[in-house]
Amino acid sequence: MSYLNPPRLHFAGKFQASPSTVNNDPDHFNNATFIPDYQKFGRGASNGWWNPMGDAVWRLIGCKVTAAWLKYDAQAADNDPINTCLIGDSDRSPPAKMVDLDPEQQMVSEIWGLQIRICLPDGTNLLRARYDTAAFMDIWDRSAGGGGDAGGGAMYQSVLTDLEWGDLSGSPFLTALKQSAKDGLLSIKFNVDGYKMDSTSPDFTRGRIVGTIGPSSAAEPRHFVLGRQFMAAAGPGGNFFAPAGRVNFCTAVVDVQAGKLVLDLGNALPTNTPGGAISDLGTLGLGYPVPPSTGGGGQAPVLLGVFNYSLPGWYETTAGLVTLPAGRVLTQDELTAIQQSVLAVTATAANGSTTVAIAEAPNGTYVRADRYVFRLNPGDTAKVRLFASQLGAPYAGARIICVRDPSQLQGQMFSAVGPPPPVATPADVVDFPARVVADQNGVAELAIQVGDPKQVRNFIDGQVYGVRPILEDDLAFGAGYNFNQWEFVSLLVWSSFAEENPPTWYGSIQPIFQQYANLYPVMKPIVDLADYDSVCTNVRILELAFGLPIDDPNSMPVTRDLSDAKRAAILRWLREPGPDGKPRKGTAPPPAAAAVAPAAARAIAPPVSEEEPIRGGKALAASRRLMLRKR
Amino acid sequence: MLLVRSMPLDSQEKMQRALQYAIELEHATIPPYLTAFYSLQPGKNDAIAGLIRGIVFQEMQHMARAANILNAIAGQPQIDKPEFIPHYPGGLPFHIGDRDGHHFDVPLQRFSIDLVQNVFMRIEEPDEPINFPVGTHMAALVAEQYRTIGDFYRAVRAALKAEWFTGDHARQVTSYVSAVYTLADAQAAIDLIIEQGEGTTTSPLSGMGDQLAHYYRFAEIFHQRTLVPDNSVPEKYSYSGAPIPFDATGVLPIVANPTSKLYPAGSMARVQSDIFNEIYSNLLRALHITFNGQPDHFDAALGLMYDLKLQAIKLMNIPLDASTNAAPCYEYAVA
Repeated sequence: MSYLNPPRLHFAGKFQASPSTVNNDPDHFNNATFIPDYQKFGRGASNGWWNPMGDAVWRLIGCKVTAAWLKYDAQAADNDPINTCLIGDSDRSPPAKMVDLDPEQQMVSEIWGLQIRICLPDGTNLLRARYDTAAFMDIWDRSAGGGGDAGGGAMYQSVLTDLEWGDLSGSPFLTALKQSAKDGLLSIKFNVDGYKMDSTSPDFTRGRIVGTIGPSSAAEPRHFVLGRQFMAAAGPGGNFFAPAGRVNFCTAVVDVQAGKLVLDLGNALPTNTPGGAISDLGTLGLGYPVPPSTGGGGQAPVLLGVFNYSLPGWYETTAGLVTLPAGRVLTQDELTAIQQSVLAVTATAANGSTTVAIAEAPNGTYVRADRYVFRLNPGDTAKVRLFASQLGAPYAGARIICVRDPSQLQGQMFSAVGPPPPVATPADVVDFPARVVADQNGVAELAIQVGDPKQVRNFIDGQVYGVRPILEDDLAFGAGYNFNQWEFVSLLVWSSFAEENPPTWYGSIQPIFQQYANLYPVMKPIVDLADYDSVCTNVRILELAFGLPIDDPNSMPVTRDLSDAKRAAILRWLREPGPDGKPRKGTAPPPAAAAVAPAAARAIAPPVSEEEPIRGGKALAASRRLMLRKR
Repeated sequence: MLLVRSMPLDSQEKMQRALQYAIELEHATIPPYLTAFYSLQPGKNDAIAGLIRGIVFQEMQHMARAANILNAIAGQPQIDKPEFIPHYPGGLPFHIGDRDGHHFDVPLQRFSIDLVQNVFMRIEEPDEPINFPVGTHMAALVAEQYRTIGDFYRAVRAALKAEWFTGDHARQVTSYVSAVYTLADAQAAIDLIIEQGEGTTTSPLSGMGDQLAHYYRFAEIFHQRTLVPDNSVPEKYSYSGAPIPFDATGVLPIVANPTSKLYPAGSMARVQSDIFNEIYSNLLRALHITFNGQPDHFDAALGLMYDLKLQAIKLMNIPLDASTNAAPCYEYAVA
């Protein structure tokens, strides 16, 4: 069960994501060479990029329910109050935060501490729930124009937990939704695009969002749907990913009992402008190849139906979901064929010629990690749940090869202040079996043990790594499998930290706090982390914030990039004051040697092109991926 | 000089209503004080900012103490309602008058020495009996049994009965304030409220620095000097201590008494003002559940207070025109 199955609701509105961009450049992590210019709005690595005062807040803005389906062909009654409901985030806690894993892995931003509510227009809450932390997936160049991040699109999928229901007596839809949440879980998926990066616009840091909430269960993966996986071939160009057939990766499920198929095109159809109308791709339909027994070969696929994606308001009222066949159920023959054939989305031009826009892999196989972002201390083990499937059914006994894959990590290519911090080295810090085998449910657990990368990246703590699970079937010579470049596991492994006993400001604490003060200037009106006296004035709230669980929206640091050892040192320093009642200062070090002169640093910075202000975001990070470098 | 409604206190239910009123009173001066405080740019006027910040912190403590007392006598604070927020200027849950008996309003306004002298000091004025000239607004209120806030709290203190203290102890909030379980606890809490701000004695000699009643701290800002003991004068104290400088260039030129209607829909100011209202309303809702059985939720409320400060600063730096910037409206946002 997932958000593709009824009962489900769709919603549409805006979202806001305002990351701090001072931390986009690995050079800015170096305390010794940091200059005030790095906190100023401006382009290029010498300045703070397009949002230096970002507060990392992620919120929903003005989201409304646009449709509610009790069954595949039955909407909620017109007078069901769900049709008036708003979808909001927290109405009584600080807002959620969105943060990257690392400056050299910015392509798995996660939303932390998000609450989701369904409420009536007067604020009466009918559902309050926690959104399980999730990273985005399937980022692609959804729109021409706008450039970089503004033209991008991505999706987030997760579950809602800790469900608190209000008075549902007036809404048969919500009553049904509650009943469907058998394990106290709901499935939620939303698509984001149309992000505005113009700081003079009132919509700065906002974009379009559409999404779906439906049932889930404990047996399901949380962050993708175990279903029919459409794998896009890579086209040329693009900042993130440009699908060859113009339709992006997407998923469908077949509900055998109900005789219906649901395909989610919410993050799969391009737009003419960022956040604008869906592009005209001709007549789009879903079909499967003609079964050989009927003498096929060269014939167009059997079509189950076409999509009404061009109707005004389609995207907002469906969040991109298409249910087929319209007005009837699948016949037994169709069901048999669907369960044995690969599915394809076809595009038919005005002149009648039909092409396959996107299809399942030829053997219909698929493997993915459910959760794919991990933060680890030296000696930890990441337990990665892998799900293998074939034509949507669990692939028992699947043999899954696991390889080191740093190709998607965004290593800095140029540094004004020394050698650029490398990624994924030393490689042997990350250890895992070369092959795991799925159980009878198609599930395998991959245990990734990590060691200590030490100070390999000098002033950036730890190291980032990539590990990719691949089905042995898909490695066969000539298999031609269209891998999804984003489907791999990202790991941030922290460096070991030499404990100072007891911790002191001038010893181990100030360097950590100075770096945060440099990277997050928005904090300054509250506390200047570079200033001992300011920190002392705020001991109590700092102790609170550093002691919160990582999924609390106020957990510090907002970037969640602090190792357990460093966190323990900070908490001890805050909680065990010296004889003067203040956190221990220690002994001031002798004056530091002269750092790289700022003028010299800027003199050797790379030339900045006109588009940098726009591309200065994920698009710029993506251009640094190892896989794009010529050898 | 504040005059507040006279309220009957002779039953537990009536006392609960009076304490709800006290919570609203304590909250009502916070938005005007905060607006003035936030309009002070960092790095300039830090001593003044520190004094106002200390006063606001104590008003918040007073609000929490009143809520603890209300919970202690089995009441339920109501904080998450649009009616909880006064309208500025003028719609406060009390009346403020000058010594000539004329009514005046409390605006949401940028900091100025004038604001301190003519509004803030008047709000906090010591509670000595004043004979307002006959025929004035204030004389009429006194005739209708309106009383000073000190008298209000003293009346509450005297009318509380030990047998009313049946409230669930688990509802007490102990962040930055003490729990109230018994009549003696409540009396101690009221004594603190009176001593710190309202109904103070006419002499500051019982406290200095952070112990100074609010009136005297505002007076220090007005006189631009700290209050120190001084045996050379009959009052035994004078504003002759360390200077408290005021840099008039260090105040943001924010608009006074804004409402959302002032900001065009879809404009930068409107977008950011809406966010401010949302954070402020979330804060009131967070405080509501903190004081209604979830004291641990105070940490979330605290986080929202810091978010509010950052948003206020952001909003106050958005120009409306060549000479004025936007400012918070403190309006309740339901959803």
